[in-house]
Amino acid sequence: MATKEKSRKLTERKQNALSGYLFVSPFFILFAIFGLFPMVFSFYLSFFRWDGLTPMTYVGLKNFEIIFNDSIFFSSIWNTFLMGIMGTFPQIIVALLLAFALNSALIRFSNTFRTLVFLPYITSVVAVAIIFSLIFNNQSFGLVNYILSMFDVEPIRWNQEYWPVKIAISTMVFWRWVGYNTIIFLAGMQSIPKELYEAAKIDGASIGQQIRLVTLPMLKPVLMFVVFTATIGALQLFTEPFIFLGRGLREEGITMVAYLWRDAFGYNSFGTASAAAIVLFAIIIVITAINLLITNRVGRSKKVQ
Amino acid sequence: MKNFLKLLLAALFTVSILVACGGGDEDSNADSSEDDNAEEAGTETTEAQIGSDDAEVELVFWEFGNTGYDVLIEEYVEANPHVSINLINQDMNDLHDNLFTSISAGSGAPDIAMVEEAQIERFKVAEDQFYNLYDLGADQVEGDFLEWVWRSGQNGEGSFQFGLPTDIGPTVMFYRTDVFEEAGYDSSPEAVSELLSTWEDFANVAQEINDKTGALMTDAGELVYNARRDQATETYFNSDDEFILEENNQIKDAYDYVADLFDAGLVGDIPLWTPEWFAGMDDASYAVFLGPAWMQGVIKDNSPEEGIWSITTMPEGAGNWGGSYLTLPSEGENSEEAYAFIEWLTAPEQQFKAFQGYGLFPSTPAVYEMTEFQEYEDSYFGGLNTAQVFSEAAEAVIPVYKGRNYYPVDDEIKEALDNVSSGSDREDEWEAMLDRVGSVLERQ
Amino acid sequence: MKKNKEVGLKKFSMKKALVYLFLVIGSLASLFPFYYMFVMATRLNREINDVPPPFIPGSELIGNFKKVMSNMDFFGALGNSLFVSVAITFGVLFLCSLAGFAFSKLQFKGKKLLFALVLLTMMVPPQLGLIPQYYIITTLGWLNDFRAIIVPGLVNAFGIFWMRQYIKEGVPFEIVEAAKIDGCSNFRVYWNIVVPMILPAFATLGIIVFMQVWNDFLWPVTVLRDPAVHTIQVALRALNDARQLDYGMIMSGTFWATVPLLIVFLLFNRLFIQSLSEGAVKS
Repeated sequence: MATKEKSRKLTERKQNALSGYLFVSPFFILFAIFGLFPMVFSFYLSFFRWDGLTPMTYVGLKNFEIIFNDSIFFSSIWNTFLMGIMGTFPQIIVALLLAFALNSALIRFSNTFRTLVFLPYITSVVAVAIIFSLIFNNQSFGLVNYILSMFDVEPIRWNQEYWPVKIAISTMVFWRWVGYNTIIFLAGMQSIPKELYEAAKIDGASIGQQIRLVTLPMLKPVLMFVVFTATIGALQLFTEPFIFLGRGLREEGITMVAYLWRDAFGYNSFGTASAAAIVLFAIIIVITAINLLITNRVGRSKKVQ
Repeated sequence: MKNFLKLLLAALFTVSILVACGGGDEDSNADSSEDDNAEEAGTETTEAQIGSDDAEVELVFWEFGNTGYDVLIEEYVEANPHVSINLINQDMNDLHDNLFTSISAGSGAPDIAMVEEAQIERFKVAEDQFYNLYDLGADQVEGDFLEWVWRSGQNGEGSFQFGLPTDIGPTVMFYRTDVFEEAGYDSSPEAVSELLSTWEDFANVAQEINDKTGALMTDAGELVYNARRDQATETYFNSDDEFILEENNQIKDAYDYVADLFDAGLVGDIPLWTPEWFAGMDDASYAVFLGPAWMQGVIKDNSPEEGIWSITTMPEGAGNWGGSYLTLPSEGENSEEAYAFIEWLTAPEQQFKAFQGYGLFPSTPAVYEMTEFQEYEDSYFGGLNTAQVFSEAAEAVIPVYKGRNYYPVDDEIKEALDNVSSGSDREDEWEAMLDRVGSVLERQ
Repeated sequence: MKKNKEVGLKKFSMKKALVYLFLVIGSLASLFPFYYMFVMATRLNREINDVPPPFIPGSELIGNFKKVMSNMDFFGALGNSLFVSVAITFGVLFLCSLAGFAFSKLQFKGKKLLFALVLLTMMVPPQLGLIPQYYIITTLGWLNDFRAIIVPGLVNAFGIFWMRQYIKEGVPFEIVEAAKIDGCSNFRVYWNIVVPMILPAFATLGIIVFMQVWNDFLWPVTVLRDPAVHTIQVALRALNDARQLDYGMIMSGTFWATVPLLIVFLLFNRLFIQSLSEGAVKS
C-alpha cells in the first residue's frame, strides 16, 4: 500500500515536472528565436566597430574605452538615476493612494475615475509632446513660466537648464505612468479575499489598521511587481526625454538608453551603442537585485508585525 | 462569464494555429508582389501599383512627402507598358530608417529609393549597396542639373553617383513689408535687396529696425547661422573627410556673427517647428525669415493675409535646405529599367510638372527658362515672380562637400548657439562643442 | 497614508471631500492632453499654432476627418490593427497565464533559475534589437506579413511575472491539490480551476497588452511596408508630410484611432468588475 502511494507520488511529480516544462516552453522557444539572437549580437558587436552599412572591424575594448572617456555617458547614468527617483517614487506612492481611494466601495463613480486616470496610457505621444512643450515652454507664455511670473520669477529655459530639464521630464514620466500603476495596484487589491477584512473587522480593527495589517501585507507581491517593473522602466527611460528634447538629446536630459540610441541611430556607431547597452544591462541587474533584497526585507518585517 | 472567456481562448487557439502554420489568408494579400488586394482596399492613395498586370518588370519605388509622382508614373507606364511601378509613400524619417535597416540586414530594399539631401550623407559610405549611376548612363544627363546639387549626390572624388536630384530648396530672404515700412524703409524687393546686400548691412539694419519698431530682425538665430554656413566655401570636413572646423575661420565667423546678434538682442532663439515659431510668422514681431523655397507653403498657411510677406535674395548669396535624390539600391534586379525611369522622372519636363502640381522646385536650370515658369506670379507675395527669385538663388549656391558626419557636427554647433543665446560665454561654448564633436568623431 | 483612513468613513466629512478633490484633480490632469487631442482634431492647423492655443473645440471635426480619409485607408488599417492586437492579446493571456501557473503552482527542477531567466530578459534594453530582429524576420520571409508582429509579440516576460505573482496569491494551494486528488490533469486544473479565478488579472494584463500593441509603431513601421498590411499607427504616419505637418488632420486621425481603445478599455473594465462580483458571490 505504502509503495503504491509512493509510486503514485513519484509519477505525479514526474507529471508535474513535465507539465511545468511544457507550460513554460513557449516563452523560451520564442525568446530563443526573437530575443536571444539580438542579445548575443549586441554582445558581439560591442567588440567591433560597425556603422551598420559597411563590414565590421574588430577593435577589442576600444568601444568601452570610448564611452568611459565620454563625460556625457556618465551624465546619462546620473540623469537616469535622478529622473528615476524624481519620476518613479512619487508615481508609485500616488498610484497606491489612488488605488486605495478607487478600491473603496464608498467612493462613487470609481469606474469613471478609473477610466480617466488610465487615459494617459492611451493618449498619443504626439499630443503629449505638444501639450508638454506648451506647459514647459522656455518663453514667458509657457504655462509654468506664466505661473512663476506671478511670483516674479524670470522665465525658465525648461529644455536647457540642469534641473528644469529633469523636472519637466520627470513630470512627464509621472503623468504617463501613474494611471498604469494604479490599475495594477487595483487588480492586486481586488485579489485580497474579503474574509480577511471581515475577520479583521470582527477583531475590531479600524480602517487604518485594516489597511496596515491586511491590505499592505497582502499587496506585497503586487507591490514588489510594481517596484520591480517601475525600476526597470526608469532605468530604460527613453520615450519621454526623446519627445521632450527631440533628436538632439542634450546632455542635461539624456538617459542611458537615449545615449545608446543616439550612438546607434544618430552617429551610426553600433559598437559603442552595444558597449553602452552592456554597461546598462549590468547596472540594471545590480539595481534590481538590491531592489529585490530591500523589498523582500521590508515585506518580511511587515508580516512579522 | 466563464464560457465567454473560454470562447475567447478557443478563438486564440485557432489564431495561433493559423499563425504557426502560416496558412492564413492574410499572407497572400500581404505579399507585395501580388497585390490585387491593395486595389480592393479601395480609396488607398498611399500606395499604388501603377501599370498593367502583365508587365514584365515591376519596380518598387519608395517616396516621401507630397510629390504627385503617381500622376507622372501613369504617364510613364502608358508609354512603357513593359514596366509597372509600385509606389509606396512613407513618412520621411521612416523611409530613411527602413532603407538603412534593409541595407544593414541585406534584404528588403526597394528598386528605387528617394533619399533626402541631408540623409544621403550617411548612405555614402555604402557604395557597394547602390548602383553607380555613372555606370548606367548618368554622365549623359549630368549637364542638365545644377552643378552643386549634382555634386552633393556623389562621393568625395566624384567617381560614384548615388542619385539623380529631384527638387531643391534654394534659400532666400522672406521679409515682412509692414515691418520694413514701419521702420521707414522702402519695402520693394529691389530696395530691400539693395539695403541688405552684405551681412554687415544686415546687422546694422537689424539694429535700426529694433530701435525704431522694437521688432527683432528674425526669430530664429540658427537660420542666420545656416545662411552664413551655406555661403562658406568649406564647412566641417574637406573632401578627404578630414575634420577642418578648428582651422576654418568662415564657420567661426558665422558663429561669432550670430553670437553678436544674440548679445545685441536683435535675433530670437525660438526653436523651429514649434507652435510659437509658426505663430510668430503672423504677428509682425520680426522682420525677415531666411528660408528655402518650400517654406512659402508654411508661411502662407500660418499667415494667410496677402501682401504682407515678400521675397528677395539673401545678403551675399544663397544656400540650400532640403531636396532629394532618387537612388537605386543594388538589391534591385532591374537597374536598367529603374534608371530609365528615374532619368525620365527627373528630366526638365517632368520636374516642371512637379513644380506646377506640388511646388517642388526644379533642380534642372532648363526649367527656369521656360515661359510659363518665367511668367509665374504669386499674388500672395504682392504679385511677385517668386519662381525667378528662387531660381536666381538656386544658381547662386556654391558646391560644398559635407561628409557623413556633417549633421552630427552641425547639431552640436546649434546646441552651442542655443546656449549662447541664453547667456553662456561664446568661447566656452565653442570649446565645449569641439569636445563633444571630438567624442562623436572618435566613434567612426 | 493618513488620508486613506478616512476613505471608509460613511458620513460626509471634510476628509472624504479631500479624497474626492484628489481624485478629481488627478482625473483632470489625466484627461487634459486627451481632451486637447480632440480640440486639435477639430481645428485648422493655423488655429492650433496660435499663442495662446485654443482650448475649446472648433468647427473642423468633419473636415479634418475627411482629409484623413482621403489620405489613408483608415478603416482597413483599423481592421489590421484589431486583428493583430486581438491575436497578440489572447496569445499573451494564454501563454503567460499557463507559464505563470507552472511557475507558481507546479514543482519542477530548475524552476527558480528559469524564472530568473524570464526576469532577466526584461532587463535587456530593446532599442538595439531592431536590426538583428529585422534580419530574423527577413530570413523567415515574414516581411509584410502579420506574423512578423504577432509571433515576436507573444514573448512577454512582464505578463509571465504578473500572472505568477497573481496566481501565487490569488489561487490557494489547497484548491489545486484537491483538484489533482480528484484526478485532474495539470492542464485541466489550469483550465477549469485557475482560469476562472484569475479573471481580474486577465483583464488587467489584457488592457495593458492590447493598448501597447495598438499604439506600437516602431516595429510595425519597420516590417510592414506594404499599405495592405499597415496597422493604424503605421498608416497614420503617412499623414506626416515631409515638411508641412497638418496637425489638425494628424490629430483627427490619431484621435479616432484612440476611440477603439477606449471601447476596449471599457469592455475589459466590465469584465473586471463582473469577475469581481462573481468572486464575491463565491466567497
